[in-house]
Amino acid sequence: MENQGKVMSGEESLKIITEMINKTKANVRQGSFHLLLWGWLIFICSLGEYILDRFTSIENPWIIWLLVIPGVFISFVYGYLKGKKSPFHTYADMIYMWTWIGYFVSMVLLFIIQSGRMDLLVPYVLILTAVPTFISGFIIKFKPLIFGAMFFWFFGMVAYFGGPQISPLTLPAAMLTGYLIPGYMLKNKISNGTV
Amino acid sequence: MARFKELDPVLHSQLRLAVVSLLISTEVAEFRFIQEQTGATPGNLSVQLSKLKEAGYIEVSKKFRENYPQTLCRITPEGRRKFMEYVNSLKDYLNPEKP
Repeated sequence: MENQGKVMSGEESLKIITEMINKTKANVRQGSFHLLLWGWLIFICSLGEYILDRFTSIENPWIIWLLVIPGVFISFVYGYLKGKKSPFHTYADMIYMWTWIGYFVSMVLLFIIQSGRMDLLVPYVLILTAVPTFISGFIIKFKPLIFGAMFFWFFGMVAYFGGPQISPLTLPAAMLTGYLIPGYMLKNKISNGTV
Repeated sequence: MARFKELDPVLHSQLRLAVVSLLISTEVAEFRFIQEQTGATPGNLSVQLSKLKEAGYIEVSKKFRENYPQTLCRITPEGRRKFMEYVNSLKDYLNPEKP
């Protein structure tokens, strides 16, 4: 792209614009790491709590949720280092990042105000989680993540109306369909270079 | 060709148009990234960035990252407006029958 004297045609101008804009699209698609990290973490914690509660005599099965603390740390450090290393930041990256930070703040507040009745929290967590997942799916134009968000809404309703036998299993089911399956599909697309 | 005279001469250059097109969807981009994506030489890119900066289309700032100098570029509101005007003129040229 060195020939400054050459007169460009309209088609050439359009080609340059399209080509360059396309080169700044893929940045947020590296987000499969967070989907897989949180998908596995919440899947293990929620299913673990269910198993410990139903099949063991452990007094505080919720203790398994302490695994979330290193998860928050890993997620923030990874995001910070990746962001720092990235040679460009798109507006979509910024929306993506701030949507998830806003979600994180909402989740912390939700846990504070509902800490006395954790069993009631699951439907609200699932319905709230659908929002950033849905937005992210549209930002990166990745349908499995959009469908994943729909699963969060669906399992949120199941958790609310399903009763105490079904409700505890909605969280791991939602993680599988909302984060893990789309996360692996996204990872696969990235490694195949089709993103 | 007559309609090309209406196109902004600052943007109607291969490298400058490529730079602004890259910056239009980014909040900020490094010099090195722009160079890699456009395939321009550092010297030519510096010259074209200066022209865009003088025209008020982009902002260029310098900072250090891990002891290495880093040049960061971002588009200004004026640059964004001029780019949109350029794209609209281009549309008129490519689809003259459409208003």
